Amino acid sequence: MTLGERVSSALTIADMEARKIHHDSTELWTRLVQPALWLLIFGEVMNSIRGLSTGSLSYIEFITPGVLAQSVLFVAIFYGINIVWEKDVGVLTKLLSTPSPYSSIVIGKALSAGIRGIFQAVMIFGLALVIGVNVRLDVLDVAGVFVAIIVFAMCFSSLSMLLASFLRTRDRMMGIGQLITMPLFFASNAIYPLSIMPRWLQYVAMVNPVSYTVDAMRAMLLTGDYSNLPVDIAAISISTILFVSLASLTIKRMIE
Amino acid sequence: MMTDENPAAKAVVVENLVKTYPPDIRAVDMISFSIGSGEIFGLLGPNGAGKTTTIKMIIGLISPTYGSLRLFGVDVAKSPQAARRLLGYVPQNVSVDGDLSGYENLLIFSRLFYVGRDERRERIAKALKYVGLSERANELVKHYSGGMMRRLEVAQALVNRPKILFLDEPAIGLDPGSRREIWESIRQLRKDFGTTIFITTHDMSEADYLCDRVAIMDSGKIVVMGPPSKLKESLGGDVVTFQLTQPGQEVTLPGDLGQVVHQDDSTIKILTQDGHKTAPLMVLALKDQGVEIQSMSIDVPSLDDVFLKYTKRRLDEHGNISEARATRRSIARYSK
Repeated sequence: MTLGERVSSALTIADMEARKIHHDSTELWTRLVQPALWLLIFGEVMNSIRGLSTGSLSYIEFITPGVLAQSVLFVAIFYGINIVWEKDVGVLTKLLSTPSPYSSIVIGKALSAGIRGIFQAVMIFGLALVIGVNVRLDVLDVAGVFVAIIVFAMCFSSLSMLLASFLRTRDRMMGIGQLITMPLFFASNAIYPLSIMPRWLQYVAMVNPVSYTVDAMRAMLLTGDYSNLPVDIAAISISTILFVSLASLTIKRMIE
Repeated sequence: MMTDENPAAKAVVVENLVKTYPPDIRAVDMISFSIGSGEIFGLLGPNGAGKTTTIKMIIGLISPTYGSLRLFGVDVAKSPQAARRLLGYVPQNVSVDGDLSGYENLLIFSRLFYVGRDERRERIAKALKYVGLSERANELVKHYSGGMMRRLEVAQALVNRPKILFLDEPAIGLDPGSRREIWESIRQLRKDFGTTIFITTHDMSEADYLCDRVAIMDSGKIVVMGPPSKLKESLGGDVVTFQLTQPGQEVTLPGDLGQVVHQDDSTIKILTQDGHKTAPLMVLALKDQGVEIQSMSIDVPSLDDVFLKYTKRRLDEHGNISEARATRRSIARYSK
């Protein structure tokens, strides 16, 4: 098994998913409604009451990276449902019986969650520009945000696949998705700064990969202050590698 | 071929294979067999006999509790990926992706099989033509019929060209015409590429028609194994079947007349040396025991009779088939 073959398998799986999105992208469009509401309604309202101190940023600017992360998080955390569906119809069994390594299959699937994430990001980016969020339009920064979104989507979609290997039904996956997305979102710096949280919640937020992703995106999109970036990158990378590795080990459980 | 002692020349060597599930279910219970290269081998048995579990262990999808498995000399437990390069697998459920076109299904899976770019193009075009799907290659597979999906799965084998192809209930849920087509293409695969074929089936006509050798499996064990013709001959003589007008008590026959292999409310089946001579005597013997006979037939033994003799049970087909049909229908419905 050469590295080239591993990479080729992962890209093939991602290509497979991209082709499916190309055939039918309804799901992606419906998933845009929620983040749009957060930005347009919650953001605008909180912006006008100025109840939170968000430093030099306006509130709507402050939550733009948060809403971006949240929309990608939603896509990624429910990604395991696709795997359960594939298991139910027999496609997963077929995939796992090919010579392609399980890790490549998991990485490929995670990448395709990244593709979905990028779609969300482009749309929300556009919306943010329309409502006048002052985004730094530097090519490298924007590219960095997209990379962050792909890695972030990989992180939580592989967590979702990991959970799917144990839960194995769509109903349970819906349940667990509902159960963990909101806490992940609220126990992060997505919609309010860490400094106003109670101490215990700050600790939770500090082990939450969502916080690091939002922080990195906020730096690249808005503040241009890169001092935390190395820590952010390390935190997201470590959790992604961890979840991808674990999911690669457990995915076989789905078909046993 | 069967006497070849070189294990690498064997397509499959299974030794003392066991799979248990908690608490104490022995899904596969100490089975051993080997398959020669280029052979069409069938695992015949009722639903729940352990056939699918056996297949999944051989291709490395589930780990055996005990025993050893070799594919063309490759130890499946030690090098699962090397083993998987040799094999193709068509599971019982539909395994083509309904959300992709027929062409895309072939393309994606050939890439996952590491078929070279140049060969890929040519083989896909040929395979689509062979299974008669060229016209509809760019249509989404969820709009295909069940038979077309199965043909696409055969096309995948044509593109990837595994040395051994595993088919779990290949013709289940298909109409008689499509079944024939699938059987013919399985034979053609072996003829054109020397592919070794391993099928599981609960359908004795399928096993009889396709397989060079069958192993009859029941409750996790292989009860008897051999070429279908030999197995049927081994029963010796004829099977006499009586249809009854009403249910009767359990009957016994003198040993020299024949052996009662099956009795239920409406039929009695008896295995005998020469049915044309013994049948009239049986009629008398049964009458004496108060059995009311409606009609009688004398046949040469079928694989079903072989199964009956060794397991004392019939191959139950109905539940299995309607179940698979329902799955196919629900998949079609869901994806539309």
